[in-house]
Amino acid sequence: MIGIGFFDVEDIKLRDAPARDACFDVVYRDAEMHEYAELSAMWLRETLHRHMTNEITSLDIAAACLVEFPDAPWELRLELARQCWDEARHVRVLHRRLSEVGGHRGEFPISVLEWNITCALDNLPGRLATQNRTLEAGAMDVVKGLSRNVREYGDERTADMLEAILTDEVQHVRFANRWIRRWATEDRRVLMKIAYAVRFLAAANAKFQIKAGELNAVGKTLEAPEDRIPAVNVEDRKLAEFSDDEVNEILRQAGFRALVPDGVAA
Amino acid sequence: MTMTVHDRSRAISTFRFLSVWMMETIAGWTPITPEMDVKVMFGRHIWDYAQIADALGKRTFELRKPEQHSTAPGPAYLDFLHTVRSEATTAARIGAFYEGLLPGLIARYRAYVAATDPVLDEPSVVIIDRILRDLERHRQEANSLCEALKLAPAKPGFASREAAIGEFIVAKADA
Repeated sequence: MIGIGFFDVEDIKLRDAPARDACFDVVYRDAEMHEYAELSAMWLRETLHRHMTNEITSLDIAAACLVEFPDAPWELRLELARQCWDEARHVRVLHRRLSEVGGHRGEFPISVLEWNITCALDNLPGRLATQNRTLEAGAMDVVKGLSRNVREYGDERTADMLEAILTDEVQHVRFANRWIRRWATEDRRVLMKIAYAVRFLAAANAKFQIKAGELNAVGKTLEAPEDRIPAVNVEDRKLAEFSDDEVNEILRQAGFRALVPDGVAA
Repeated sequence: MTMTVHDRSRAISTFRFLSVWMMETIAGWTPITPEMDVKVMFGRHIWDYAQIADALGKRTFELRKPEQHSTAPGPAYLDFLHTVRSEATTAARIGAFYEGLLPGLIARYRAYVAATDPVLDEPSVVIIDRILRDLERHRQEANSLCEALKLAPAKPGFASREAAIGEFIVAKADA
Protein backbone atom coordinates (compact mmCIF):
# COMPACT_ATOMS: atom_id res chain seq x y z
CA MET A 1 0.00 0.00 0.00
CA ILE A 2 1.20 3.50 -0.78
CA GLY A 3 1.25 5.73 2.29
CA ILE A 4 -1.57 7.97 1.13
CA GLY A 5 -4.66 8.07 3.32
CA PHE A 6 -8.33 8.85 2.82
CA PHE A 7 -10.73 11.70 3.54
CA ASP A 8 -14.49 11.93 3.84
CA VAL A 9 -16.78 14.04 1.70
CA GLU A 10 -20.13 13.65 3.44
CA ASP A 11 -20.92 9.92 3.05
CA ILE A 12 -18.13 9.13 0.59
CA LYS A 13 -14.55 8.18 1.38
CA LEU A 14 -12.01 9.45 -1.15
CA ARG A 15 -8.24 9.01 -1.39
CA ASP A 16 -6.02 11.85 -0.26
CA ALA A 17 -4.23 13.71 -3.06
CA PRO A 18 -0.97 12.46 -4.53
CA ALA A 19 2.11 14.66 -4.17
CA ARG A 20 2.46 17.63 -6.50
CA ASP A 21 5.12 20.28 -7.09
CA ALA A 22 4.62 23.28 -4.81
CA CYS A 23 3.87 25.45 -7.86
CA PHE A 24 0.56 23.65 -8.43
CA ASP A 25 -2.66 24.82 -6.80
CA VAL A 26 -4.89 21.74 -6.40
CA VAL A 27 -8.64 22.46 -6.42
CA TYR A 28 -11.67 20.18 -6.30
CA ARG A 29 -14.49 21.79 -8.23
CA ASP A 30 -14.71 22.64 -11.93
CA ALA A 31 -15.86 26.09 -10.87
CA GLU A 32 -12.46 26.62 -9.25
CA MET A 33 -10.64 25.70 -12.45
CA HIS A 34 -9.86 28.33 -15.05
CA GLU A 35 -11.66 28.14 -18.35
CA TYR A 36 -11.44 30.72 -21.13
CA ALA A 37 -13.09 31.55 -24.44
CA GLU A 38 -12.39 28.68 -26.83
CA LEU A 39 -9.33 28.98 -29.11
CA SER A 40 -7.96 32.07 -27.38
CA ALA A 41 -4.28 32.03 -26.36
CA MET A 42 -5.20 31.67 -22.69
CA TRP A 43 -7.60 28.85 -23.53
CA LEU A 44 -4.86 26.94 -25.36
CA ARG A 45 -2.41 27.35 -22.48
CA GLU A 46 -4.95 26.31 -19.87
CA THR A 47 -6.06 23.36 -22.00
CA LEU A 48 -2.48 22.13 -22.43
CA HIS A 49 -1.82 22.69 -18.73
CA ARG A 50 -4.97 20.81 -17.77
CA HIS A 51 -4.13 17.83 -19.99
CA MET A 52 -0.53 17.79 -18.81
CA THR A 53 -1.56 17.62 -15.18
CA ASN A 54 -4.27 15.05 -15.92
CA GLU A 55 -1.53 12.88 -17.45
CA ILE A 56 0.50 13.20 -14.24
CA THR A 57 -2.55 11.93 -12.40
CA SER A 58 -2.98 9.04 -14.84
CA LEU A 59 0.68 8.11 -14.26
CA ASP A 60 0.14 8.18 -10.49
CA ILE A 61 -2.97 5.98 -10.78
CA ALA A 62 -1.32 3.35 -13.01
CA ALA A 63 1.73 3.28 -10.74
CA ALA A 64 -0.46 2.88 -7.65
CA CYS A 65 -2.30 -0.03 -9.28
CA LEU A 66 1.04 -1.78 -9.86
CA VAL A 67 1.96 -1.47 -6.19
CA GLU A 68 -1.39 -2.04 -4.54
CA PHE A 69 -2.31 -5.14 -6.53
CA PRO A 70 0.89 -7.21 -6.60
CA ASP A 71 -1.05 -10.43 -7.25
CA ALA A 72 -2.57 -9.18 -10.51
CA PRO A 73 -1.70 -11.33 -13.54
CA TRP A 74 1.75 -10.53 -14.87
CA GLU A 75 0.43 -9.69 -18.34
CA LEU A 76 -1.83 -7.04 -16.83
CA ARG A 77 1.00 -5.64 -14.71
CA LEU A 78 2.99 -5.27 -17.93
CA GLU A 79 0.14 -3.26 -19.43
CA LEU A 80 0.03 -0.99 -16.37
CA ALA A 81 3.81 -0.53 -16.44
CA ARG A 82 3.63 0.39 -20.11
CA GLN A 83 0.83 2.84 -19.32
CA CYS A 84 3.15 4.51 -16.79
CA TRP A 85 5.68 5.14 -19.54
CA ASP A 86 3.02 6.36 -21.98
CA GLU A 87 1.58 8.83 -19.46
CA ALA A 88 5.09 10.03 -18.58
CA ARG A 89 5.78 10.71 -22.30
CA HIS A 90 2.47 12.55 -22.56
CA VAL A 91 3.45 14.79 -19.66
CA ARG A 92 6.73 15.57 -21.45
CA VAL A 93 5.20 16.46 -24.80
CA LEU A 94 2.40 18.49 -23.27
CA HIS A 95 4.88 20.39 -21.13
CA ARG A 96 7.05 20.98 -24.19
CA ARG A 97 4.08 22.35 -26.13
CA LEU A 98 2.93 24.42 -23.16
CA SER A 99 6.38 26.04 -23.01
CA GLU A 100 6.34 26.66 -26.77
CA VAL A 101 3.11 28.68 -26.49
CA GLY A 102 4.43 30.71 -23.56
CA GLY A 103 2.87 28.82 -20.65
CA HIS A 104 4.45 27.28 -17.60
CA ARG A 105 3.67 24.67 -14.98
CA GLY A 106 1.63 26.02 -12.10
CA GLU A 107 0.10 28.73 -14.27
CA PHE A 108 -3.46 27.49 -13.61
CA PRO A 109 -5.26 25.55 -10.86
CA ILE A 110 -5.33 21.78 -11.32
CA SER A 111 -7.54 18.89 -10.26
CA VAL A 112 -6.55 15.42 -9.05
CA LEU A 113 -10.14 14.25 -8.59
CA GLU A 114 -9.60 11.25 -10.88
CA TRP A 115 -7.01 10.00 -8.38
CA ASN A 116 -9.17 10.87 -5.34
CA ILE A 117 -11.99 8.73 -6.74
CA THR A 118 -10.21 5.88 -8.54
CA CYS A 119 -7.66 5.15 -5.85
CA ALA A 120 -10.34 5.08 -3.17
CA LEU A 121 -11.53 1.79 -4.72
CA ASP A 122 -10.03 -1.33 -3.17
CA ASN A 123 -10.11 -3.62 -6.20
CA LEU A 124 -8.41 -3.59 -9.57
CA PRO A 125 -11.47 -4.34 -11.75
CA GLY A 126 -13.17 -1.34 -10.16
CA ARG A 127 -10.19 0.91 -10.76
CA LEU A 128 -9.85 -0.15 -14.39
CA ALA A 129 -13.59 0.34 -14.89
CA THR A 130 -13.34 3.84 -13.42
CA GLN A 131 -10.05 5.21 -14.68
CA ASN A 132 -9.37 3.41 -17.95
CA ARG A 133 -12.79 2.36 -19.17
CA THR A 134 -14.72 5.46 -18.09
CA LEU A 135 -12.45 8.46 -17.49
CA GLU A 136 -9.80 7.70 -20.12
CA ALA A 137 -12.48 6.68 -22.57
CA GLY A 138 -14.16 10.01 -21.86
CA ALA A 139 -10.83 11.71 -22.46
CA MET A 140 -10.73 10.03 -25.89
CA ASP A 141 -13.95 11.88 -26.70
CA VAL A 142 -12.54 15.18 -25.47
CA VAL A 143 -9.15 14.88 -27.18
CA LYS A 144 -10.68 13.89 -30.51
CA GLY A 145 -12.81 17.04 -30.60
CA LEU A 146 -9.98 19.15 -29.31
CA SER A 147 -7.52 18.01 -31.96
CA ARG A 148 -10.08 18.67 -34.67
CA ASN A 149 -10.79 22.16 -33.34
CA VAL A 150 -7.18 23.27 -33.03
CA ARG A 151 -6.38 21.88 -36.49
CA GLU A 152 -9.23 23.90 -38.00
CA TYR A 153 -7.80 26.88 -36.16
CA GLY A 154 -4.45 26.26 -37.88
CA ASP A 155 -2.51 24.84 -34.94
CA GLU A 156 -1.22 21.72 -36.70
CA ARG A 157 1.51 21.09 -34.13
CA THR A 158 -0.87 20.82 -31.19
CA ALA A 159 -3.32 18.78 -33.26
CA ASP A 160 -0.65 16.26 -34.31
CA MET A 161 0.49 15.91 -30.71
CA LEU A 162 -3.05 15.33 -29.43
CA GLU A 163 -3.72 12.69 -32.08
CA ALA A 164 -0.57 10.81 -31.10
CA ILE A 165 -1.60 10.91 -27.45
CA LEU A 166 -5.08 9.73 -28.39
CA THR A 167 -3.59 6.69 -30.12
CA ASP A 168 -1.85 5.65 -26.90
CA GLU A 169 -5.01 6.17 -24.88
CA VAL A 170 -6.92 3.75 -27.09
CA GLN A 171 -4.65 0.95 -25.87
CA HIS A 172 -5.14 1.94 -22.22
CA VAL A 173 -8.89 1.70 -22.63
CA ARG A 174 -8.64 -1.47 -24.73
CA PHE A 175 -6.57 -3.46 -22.24
CA ALA A 176 -9.01 -2.50 -19.47
CA ASN A 177 -11.96 -3.63 -21.59
CA ARG A 178 -10.21 -6.92 -22.35
CA TRP A 179 -9.38 -7.67 -18.74
CA ILE A 180 -12.80 -6.68 -17.43
CA ARG A 181 -14.44 -8.90 -20.01
CA ARG A 182 -12.10 -11.76 -19.15
CA TRP A 183 -12.66 -11.40 -15.38
CA ALA A 184 -16.41 -11.16 -15.83
CA THR A 185 -16.40 -14.34 -17.91
CA GLU A 186 -14.43 -16.20 -15.25
CA ASP A 187 -16.38 -14.83 -12.28
CA ARG A 188 -19.70 -13.01 -12.67
CA ARG A 189 -19.25 -11.45 -9.22
CA VAL A 190 -16.70 -9.11 -10.81
CA LEU A 191 -19.66 -7.39 -12.45
CA MET A 192 -20.84 -6.32 -8.99
CA LYS A 193 -17.48 -4.62 -8.40
CA ILE A 194 -17.73 -2.89 -11.77
CA ALA A 195 -21.27 -1.72 -11.08
CA TYR A 196 -20.27 -0.44 -7.65
CA ALA A 197 -17.27 1.42 -9.11
CA VAL A 198 -19.39 3.13 -11.76
CA ARG A 199 -21.98 4.19 -9.15
CA PHE A 200 -19.20 5.36 -6.83
CA LEU A 201 -17.69 7.48 -9.61
CA ALA A 202 -21.06 9.10 -10.36
CA ALA A 203 -21.78 9.77 -6.67
CA ALA A 204 -18.33 11.22 -6.03
CA ASN A 205 -18.46 13.40 -9.14
CA ALA A 206 -21.84 14.74 -8.05
CA LYS A 207 -20.27 16.13 -4.87
CA PHE A 208 -18.09 18.50 -6.88
CA GLN A 209 -20.31 19.19 -9.87
CA ILE A 210 -20.98 22.69 -11.16
CA LYS A 211 -24.42 24.17 -11.51
CA ALA A 212 -25.74 25.78 -14.68
CA GLY A 213 -25.01 29.49 -14.69
CA GLU A 214 -22.31 29.25 -12.04
CA LEU A 215 -19.34 31.58 -12.51
CA ASN A 216 -15.90 29.97 -12.56
CA ALA A 217 -12.75 31.37 -10.96
CA VAL A 218 -12.07 33.68 -13.91
CA GLY A 219 -15.63 34.91 -14.32
CA LYS A 220 -16.84 32.67 -17.13
CA THR A 221 -20.45 31.52 -16.91
CA LEU A 222 -20.51 27.72 -16.93
CA GLU A 223 -23.02 25.56 -18.71
CA ALA A 224 -24.88 22.74 -16.97
CA PRO A 225 -22.91 19.45 -16.85
CA GLU A 226 -25.33 17.80 -19.30
CA ASP A 227 -24.60 20.54 -21.83
CA ARG A 228 -20.84 20.05 -21.54
CA ILE A 229 -20.72 16.45 -22.73
CA PRO A 230 -18.35 16.12 -25.72
CA ALA A 231 -19.21 14.32 -28.94
CA VAL A 232 -18.69 10.58 -28.57
CA ASN A 233 -15.58 9.35 -30.36
CA VAL A 234 -17.21 6.27 -31.83
CA GLU A 235 -14.26 5.28 -34.04
CA ASP A 236 -11.76 5.12 -31.19
CA ARG A 237 -14.22 3.57 -28.75
CA LYS A 238 -14.63 0.74 -31.26
CA LEU A 239 -10.84 0.45 -31.60
CA ALA A 240 -10.74 0.25 -27.81
CA GLU A 241 -13.11 -2.72 -28.13
CA PHE A 242 -16.31 -1.30 -26.76
CA SER A 243 -19.06 -3.44 -28.26
CA ASP A 244 -21.64 -1.91 -30.60
CA ASP A 245 -24.21 -2.18 -27.80
CA GLU A 246 -21.90 -0.35 -25.40
CA VAL A 247 -21.21 2.41 -27.94
CA ASN A 248 -24.92 2.81 -28.58
CA GLU A 249 -25.56 3.05 -24.84
CA ILE A 250 -22.87 5.72 -24.49
CA LEU A 251 -24.41 7.64 -27.37
CA ARG A 252 -27.80 7.50 -25.68
CA GLN A 253 -26.39 8.68 -22.37
CA ALA A 254 -24.64 11.52 -24.17
CA GLY A 255 -27.92 12.59 -25.70
CA PHE A 256 -26.92 11.77 -29.27
CA ARG A 257 -29.97 9.68 -29.99
CA ALA A 258 -29.93 10.69 -33.64
CA LEU A 259 -26.59 8.96 -34.07
CA VAL A 260 -27.81 5.62 -32.76
CA PRO A 261 -28.18 3.28 -35.76
CA ASP A 262 -31.66 2.36 -36.94
CA GLY A 263 -33.17 -0.70 -35.36
CA VAL A 264 -31.57 -0.18 -31.97
CA ALA A 265 -34.15 0.28 -29.26
CA ALA A 266 -33.79 3.60 -27.46
CA MET B 1 33.87 -24.69 -11.50
CA THR B 2 31.16 -24.25 -14.12
CA MET B 3 27.63 -23.20 -13.29
CA THR B 4 24.93 -25.83 -13.47
CA VAL B 5 21.50 -25.28 -14.96
CA HIS B 6 20.15 -25.04 -11.40
CA ASP B 7 22.74 -22.38 -10.56
CA ARG B 8 21.68 -20.39 -13.60
CA SER B 9 17.97 -20.68 -12.95
CA ARG B 10 18.45 -19.61 -9.32
CA ALA B 11 20.50 -16.59 -10.39
CA ILE B 12 18.15 -15.55 -13.19
CA SER B 13 15.06 -15.96 -11.03
CA THR B 14 16.75 -13.92 -8.27
CA PHE B 15 17.54 -11.19 -10.77
CA ARG B 16 13.90 -11.33 -11.80
CA PHE B 17 12.76 -10.91 -8.20
CA LEU B 18 14.92 -7.81 -7.99
CA SER B 19 13.55 -6.39 -11.24
CA VAL B 20 9.96 -6.74 -10.03
CA TRP B 21 10.98 -5.22 -6.70
CA MET B 22 12.57 -2.28 -8.54
CA MET B 23 9.46 -1.78 -10.67
CA GLU B 24 7.24 -1.81 -7.56
CA THR B 25 9.55 0.45 -5.58
CA ILE B 26 9.70 3.13 -8.25
CA ALA B 27 5.96 2.77 -8.85
CA GLY B 28 5.29 3.15 -5.13
CA TRP B 29 7.37 6.30 -4.98
CA THR B 30 5.67 7.90 -8.00
CA PRO B 31 2.45 9.18 -6.35
CA ILE B 32 4.28 10.38 -3.23
CA THR B 33 7.00 12.24 -5.15
CA PRO B 34 6.07 15.89 -5.76
CA GLU B 35 8.54 16.75 -8.53
CA MET B 36 6.94 16.36 -11.96
CA ASP B 37 10.25 15.67 -13.71
CA VAL B 38 11.11 12.91 -11.26
CA LYS B 39 7.71 11.32 -11.76
CA VAL B 40 8.32 11.40 -15.52
CA MET B 41 11.68 9.65 -15.12
CA PHE B 42 10.11 7.08 -12.81
CA GLY B 43 7.39 6.40 -15.39
CA ARG B 44 9.99 5.44 -17.97
CA HIS B 45 11.98 3.30 -15.54
CA ILE B 46 8.88 1.44 -14.30
CA TRP B 47 8.37 0.19 -17.85
CA ASP B 48 12.06 -0.66 -18.23
CA TYR B 49 12.09 -2.78 -15.05
CA ALA B 50 8.88 -4.48 -16.12
CA GLN B 51 10.44 -5.42 -19.46
CA ILE B 52 13.61 -6.61 -17.74
CA ALA B 53 11.56 -8.78 -15.38
CA ASP B 54 9.58 -10.12 -18.30
CA ALA B 55 12.69 -11.08 -20.28
CA LEU B 56 14.25 -12.77 -17.26
CA GLY B 57 10.94 -14.48 -16.50
CA LYS B 58 10.84 -15.99 -19.98
CA ARG B 59 14.40 -17.21 -19.48
CA THR B 60 13.50 -18.96 -16.18
CA PHE B 61 11.09 -21.10 -18.18
CA GLU B 62 13.89 -22.10 -20.53
CA LEU B 63 15.92 -23.07 -17.47
CA ARG B 64 13.37 -25.62 -16.19
CA LYS B 65 11.41 -23.29 -13.91
CA PRO B 66 7.89 -21.91 -14.41
CA GLU B 67 7.54 -18.87 -16.63
CA GLN B 68 8.00 -15.63 -14.67
CA HIS B 69 9.41 -17.53 -11.71
CA SER B 70 11.10 -15.42 -9.01
CA THR B 71 13.40 -16.38 -6.14
CA ALA B 72 13.91 -14.02 -3.23
CA PRO B 73 17.50 -13.11 -2.35
CA GLY B 74 18.97 -13.90 1.05
CA PRO B 75 17.79 -12.12 4.22
CA ALA B 76 20.71 -9.68 4.36
CA TYR B 77 19.93 -8.47 0.86
CA LEU B 78 16.20 -8.29 1.61
CA ASP B 79 17.01 -6.16 4.63
CA PHE B 80 19.10 -3.90 2.43
CA LEU B 81 16.22 -3.56 -0.04
CA HIS B 82 13.87 -2.68 2.79
CA THR B 83 16.21 0.12 3.83
CA VAL B 84 16.36 1.51 0.30
CA ARG B 85 12.59 1.51 -0.03
CA SER B 86 12.06 3.25 3.30
CA GLU B 87 13.90 6.43 2.27
CA ALA B 88 11.64 9.42 2.80
CA THR B 89 12.70 12.26 0.49
CA THR B 90 13.09 12.49 -3.27
CA ALA B 91 16.82 13.14 -3.04
CA ALA B 92 17.40 10.30 -0.59
CA ARG B 93 15.33 7.88 -2.67
CA ILE B 94 17.21 8.69 -5.84
CA GLY B 95 20.51 8.43 -3.99
CA ALA B 96 19.68 5.10 -2.37
CA PHE B 97 18.26 3.58 -5.54
CA TYR B 98 20.45 4.87 -8.36
CA GLU B 99 23.72 5.33 -6.45
CA GLY B 100 23.28 2.78 -3.68
CA LEU B 101 21.53 -0.18 -5.28
CA LEU B 102 22.30 0.03 -9.00
CA PRO B 103 26.15 -0.01 -9.00
CA GLY B 104 26.18 -3.19 -6.94
CA LEU B 105 23.50 -4.80 -9.05
CA ILE B 106 25.41 -3.96 -12.21
CA ALA B 107 28.48 -5.62 -10.67
CA ARG B 108 26.41 -8.72 -9.83
CA TYR B 109 25.14 -9.02 -13.39
CA ARG B 110 28.71 -8.68 -14.67
CA ALA B 111 29.90 -11.34 -12.23
CA TYR B 112 27.19 -13.67 -13.53
CA VAL B 113 28.28 -13.12 -17.14
CA ALA B 114 31.90 -13.76 -16.17
CA ALA B 115 30.98 -16.98 -14.37
CA THR B 116 28.59 -18.56 -16.83
CA ASP B 117 29.42 -20.42 -20.04
CA PRO B 118 29.18 -17.77 -22.78
CA VAL B 119 27.97 -20.26 -25.38
CA LEU B 120 25.75 -22.63 -23.42
CA ASP B 121 24.12 -19.73 -21.58
CA GLU B 122 24.26 -17.20 -24.39
CA PRO B 123 20.50 -16.49 -24.16
CA SER B 124 21.02 -15.24 -20.59
CA VAL B 125 24.11 -13.26 -21.59
CA VAL B 126 22.26 -11.49 -24.40
CA ILE B 127 19.43 -10.51 -22.03
CA ILE B 128 21.90 -9.27 -19.42
CA ASP B 129 23.84 -7.21 -21.98
CA ARG B 130 20.62 -5.30 -22.70
CA ILE B 131 19.84 -4.97 -19.00
CA LEU B 132 23.28 -3.52 -18.29
CA ARG B 133 22.76 -0.85 -20.94
CA ASP B 134 19.43 0.07 -19.36
CA LEU B 135 20.81 0.23 -15.83
CA GLU B 136 23.75 2.41 -16.88
CA ARG B 137 21.31 4.71 -18.69
CA HIS B 138 19.14 4.91 -15.60
CA ARG B 139 22.08 6.07 -13.51
CA GLN B 140 22.96 8.71 -16.11
CA GLU B 141 19.36 9.93 -16.30
CA ALA B 142 19.09 10.14 -12.52
CA ASN B 143 22.38 12.05 -12.32
CA SER B 144 21.33 14.50 -15.03
CA LEU B 145 17.97 15.06 -13.38
CA CYS B 146 19.53 15.68 -9.98
CA GLU B 147 21.84 18.26 -11.56
CA ALA B 148 18.95 19.96 -13.34
CA LEU B 149 16.75 20.03 -10.22
CA LYS B 150 19.69 20.83 -7.93
CA LEU B 151 18.92 17.76 -5.85
CA ALA B 152 21.86 16.46 -3.86
CA PRO B 153 21.22 12.76 -3.38
CA ALA B 154 22.50 11.71 0.01
CA LYS B 155 24.80 8.67 -0.21
CA PRO B 156 24.79 7.28 3.30
CA GLY B 157 27.03 4.31 2.55
CA PHE B 158 24.40 2.39 0.59
CA ALA B 159 26.79 1.21 -2.11
CA SER B 160 29.36 -0.07 0.36
CA ARG B 161 26.64 -1.74 2.39
CA GLU B 162 25.37 -3.48 -0.74
CA ALA B 163 28.85 -4.68 -1.63
CA ALA B 164 29.44 -5.96 1.89
CA ILE B 165 26.51 -8.37 1.63
CA GLY B 166 28.45 -10.66 -0.70
CA GLU B 167 26.47 -13.50 -2.29
CA PHE B 168 22.79 -12.61 -2.56
CA ILE B 169 21.50 -15.73 -4.28
CA VAL B 170 20.07 -18.26 -1.87
CA ALA B 171 21.86 -21.55 -2.45
CA LYS B 172 19.61 -24.41 -3.58
CA ALA B 173 16.52 -22.43 -2.64
CA ASP B 174 14.36 -24.25 -5.13
CA ALA B 175 16.72 -26.73 -6.74
